[in-house]
Amino acid sequence: MATDVKPGPMKPEEVLRLIAAQRGPAVCIPTMTTGPEWRAIAPNDLSVGCVGFMGGASCLGLGIALARPDRRVLVLDGDGSLLMQLGSLATIAGAAPRNLVHFLFKNGVYHTSGAQGIPGGLSVDFVTMAKGAGYRTAFAIHNLDDFTRRLPEILKMEGPVFVELHTGLAEQTPMTARGGVPFPQQVTDLRAKLLRPRATT
Amino acid sequence: MPESIPASLIIDTLKDTFREARKELAQEVAEPPQHSHLGWILSVPDTHQKTVLAALDKEEQIRVLTCATEDEAATIAGGLYIGGEPVVLMIQHAGLYASVNTLRGVAMDGRIPTFYMIGLLSREKDKAPRESRHSMVRYAEPLLDTFGIPHATLEGPDDVHLIPEYYRLSRQRKGPAVVLVGLETI
Repeated sequence: MATDVKPGPMKPEEVLRLIAAQRGPAVCIPTMTTGPEWRAIAPNDLSVGCVGFMGGASCLGLGIALARPDRRVLVLDGDGSLLMQLGSLATIAGAAPRNLVHFLFKNGVYHTSGAQGIPGGLSVDFVTMAKGAGYRTAFAIHNLDDFTRRLPEILKMEGPVFVELHTGLAEQTPMTARGGVPFPQQVTDLRAKLLRPRATT
Repeated sequence: MPESIPASLIIDTLKDTFREARKELAQEVAEPPQHSHLGWILSVPDTHQKTVLAALDKEEQIRVLTCATEDEAATIAGGLYIGGEPVVLMIQHAGLYASVNTLRGVAMDGRIPTFYMIGLLSREKDKAPRESRHSMVRYAEPLLDTFGIPHATLEGPDDVHLIPEYYRLSRQRKGPAVVLVGLETI
């Protein structure tokens, strides 16, 4: 069956560190298993973690990208998460935000809830789906050397861009590494950083 | 008896609501977003409000994004709020039921102001929504009450003032607020 396919060789933590080192002032939307490591790499910055409404990262990123076309927005999505709002591929493609890059960390399982296989496992071809939905660019990356080489170009591409990253399992999940800044506070903090509220007396 | 509301009246009211929201934001923040449009409608097409959606297609001052699901609409609204954009969701009651977890997780737990216009498709003119013989009409108000979401019903043209009022209320309480559209718009 599909879940017999071996996971990709990239460690998600290494991928996230590369993104963090090169993202500049981009707003980042981690979700599920990209969350704990991102919290450690990029604390208190231009990020808002998406937990508690699984599948929402791509649309939260879309909203920010539409509001702030002057900012690049990087969605750090999971395959199980994306399946929960798969229609967002068409909605994003329809809105056509030029500043949105949608990274998909593909490991074939719902890691946070106990690593149950996702429907279709690793054989689900999200690149074809993103292309079919109408993303401007969509491709897969299978190893870290390739990702390292292509990341600078990816971060400059006109969006919406979809990058399927073949990764193994993260060391931590939101269940093993609880905590972090509560979601509403992240929302308030990011909004303040983007809009710079005037000082009140 | 309730009356249908003309689409033009709703659109003019939405424009005024967006203008007021932008003016307030400009007073509050140093870097409000700079766009030529007034605000956003996020819709999952609603038969009940179809005349409004059709008229919005010709509007250049309001951007309309059709979403595949109400979950998406509520989450995109959260992102637009973070970026400083005024936004109204136009959905129908069935979509409210379909997206309850996102309503809870984004608008309520996230304390994100989120204003909904929800069409009560199949609501009978001579019955209060709670007395409808259609479950999708009957359960809308009790569901909103269960979640503690303030709501009011547009029962005619004289009620359009509820649109800016409940929009402001969503901002004040940092959460969802709803106006239900009682009869099909014209």
